[in-house]
Amino acid sequence: MATITAAARTMYPHDALPDDVYARVAEKLAEAACEDSGAARTIEAGVSAINNGRLFAELSADEQLEALKGIEGSAFFELVRSIAVVEVYSDERTWQLVGYEGPSFDQGGYINRGFNDLGWLPDPEAA
Amino acid sequence: MSNQPNGRRRVNRFAAGDSDVTVVIGSGAGGGTLANELCQKGAKVVLIEAGRHHRPEDFINDEWASLNQLAWLDARTTSGSWRIAEEFPSLPAWTCKAVGGTTVHWAGCCPRFKEWEFRIRSEHGPIDGASLLDWPIGLADVAPYYDRAENRLGVTRTNGIPAAPANNNFKVMGNGARRVGYTGVSTGRMAFNTVPRDGRPATIQDGFNYQGDKQRAHWSTLTAEIPKAEKTGRLDLRPESMVNRIEHDGSGRVTGVVYTDADGNQQRQKARVVCVACNAIETARLLLNSASALFPDGLANSSGQVGRNYMRHVTGAVFATFGKAVRMYRGETMAGIVTDESRNDPGRGFVGGYYLQLHSLGPSFLATFLSPRAWGRDFAEIMEQYGHMAGMFLVGEDMPRETNRVTLNRDVHDQFGLPVPNVHVDDHPNDTAMREHAYAAGESVYDAVGATRTFCVPPYPASHNLGTARMSVRPEDGVVNQFGRAHDVPNLFVSDGSVMTTGAAANPTLTIVALALRQADHIEQQLKAGAL
Repeated sequence: MATITAAARTMYPHDALPDDVYARVAEKLAEAACEDSGAARTIEAGVSAINNGRLFAELSADEQLEALKGIEGSAFFELVRSIAVVEVYSDERTWQLVGYEGPSFDQGGYINRGFNDLGWLPDPEAA
Repeated sequence: MSNQPNGRRRVNRFAAGDSDVTVVIGSGAGGGTLANELCQKGAKVVLIEAGRHHRPEDFINDEWASLNQLAWLDARTTSGSWRIAEEFPSLPAWTCKAVGGTTVHWAGCCPRFKEWEFRIRSEHGPIDGASLLDWPIGLADVAPYYDRAENRLGVTRTNGIPAAPANNNFKVMGNGARRVGYTGVSTGRMAFNTVPRDGRPATIQDGFNYQGDKQRAHWSTLTAEIPKAEKTGRLDLRPESMVNRIEHDGSGRVTGVVYTDADGNQQRQKARVVCVACNAIETARLLLNSASALFPDGLANSSGQVGRNYMRHVTGAVFATFGKAVRMYRGETMAGIVTDESRNDPGRGFVGGYYLQLHSLGPSFLATFLSPRAWGRDFAEIMEQYGHMAGMFLVGEDMPRETNRVTLNRDVHDQFGLPVPNVHVDDHPNDTAMREHAYAAGESVYDAVGATRTFCVPPYPASHNLGTARMSVRPEDGVVNQFGRAHDVPNLFVSDGSVMTTGAAANPTLTIVALALRQADHIEQQLKAGAL
């Protein structure tokens, strides 16, 4: 769990995000392992390899980055990355951080809430 | 037996043995429009749809959750040198499996084909490695149906319908385009309401198109055509029903279809006429899966052209970051276009034209598609610029190739036990040259308004899937005639983008609708004449 959480943060490092966001990746992987024995074996072997002789989660950020570069392209790396990219960027805390407001239908859309409020350029067709 | 959107069980209107019905397979732009038009003309129509019948209010404004609700995710395989085979090997296309088909997630761009785009073979002569062919029809044949289609879809800037207003993302693209000297710069011709029309409201600019339109301001067959067809009392809509094969008699006329219903039971529906509109990959697959002793290579495939000449447009995207906020996600996603590159000028190093169109993604999709498989701090820092980012889509004519092809993969079977389609694509050098030109054009547009960084994004899984049952004058060159009727089978029609002989630069929906209306007139005439 701690290994996956740390790996997900190293892959998509947003310093302002809490560990909870990255822990979701570990939870999703645990679900995937329950549903698919092949995925379970990939995860078990990958976690074991990356913790070989030391705990990945306790390494420095630079060391974690080097460790992940060493396994980039492996089935384990790609499994973690493909779930991390979806989970991290579908999280409302990430949306808030990067400046995305998400669904707007229930608030009446953006028609009266700034769909055209960009002020540093004119309306291209008005000229 | 499937459920209606209100949860009630659905009861078939017409008997399985009623051989007087027209069966339409697929309820998207082609099939949904054709079904309604035939119902309006008095025909009895059984409309069979593989996907579920959703209510617009149930659409999910969250990209991945919505993809799982609406997209066609049944097993598929890929091969060839295109990037999709490496990056998204099981998802060659991004289309919908739902009542309404891919119109459900359509953003609404409605350019027409240009006159020369119907005859690009004669315009250029043969091109190495391309199976170019002129359409059997031209703009003059389709123009009256474009008029009707635009009125039906409520396309902005036609029929007195007000233009869409400029949103934030368009202010960036539009000003950049003007500064580099482009003149064909506008919010485009779009199939969403800018004022209430046809019983549907005006857009509230909620920013979601590709996830289905909760507000119903967009035309779709789900919200516009199918409800009207149901009012005639002559539509029998059967969702969650997967057609396994089309059957025929000893003379080679089709007699009906066999499908798996929502409960997993096989059903047989008789028919006077069968119209296939399953989107180019599934249309080819169904014809191939309907092979028989009489049609050993697949139904309507004496030419060997079924599944070949698969086109998906030259596509790509350009995103750029700026020093100030943009908020590209607010408002109608694709309401903006630059038309200057949609011209025939081989001096640019390629034949055919392309459009720059407005485009945005939410952070979830952007992170997946911006630079597939990218990770690390640089990538995370780019994503933190999301609110300062603008985006555009590139769409242009791609070259048909005999070897770009949908075939059956007999090693992989879907949940119905049917061989899945394999989609093989190798980009033609013309496609690659056009894409590079379009990337440079897109970057120059953003550089002209002060972009801090630009990103050229490779093609997504295709939403424009064309050409796998193409129209031709001669039966040996294609699958269907100028009305979409199979050369080999007198009462079998193809009614979707599969019939496109070449793909032009235009987003295909408007043309698919126009061709469906033209086909409906033809079928009505043939039924009245007793020819079907």
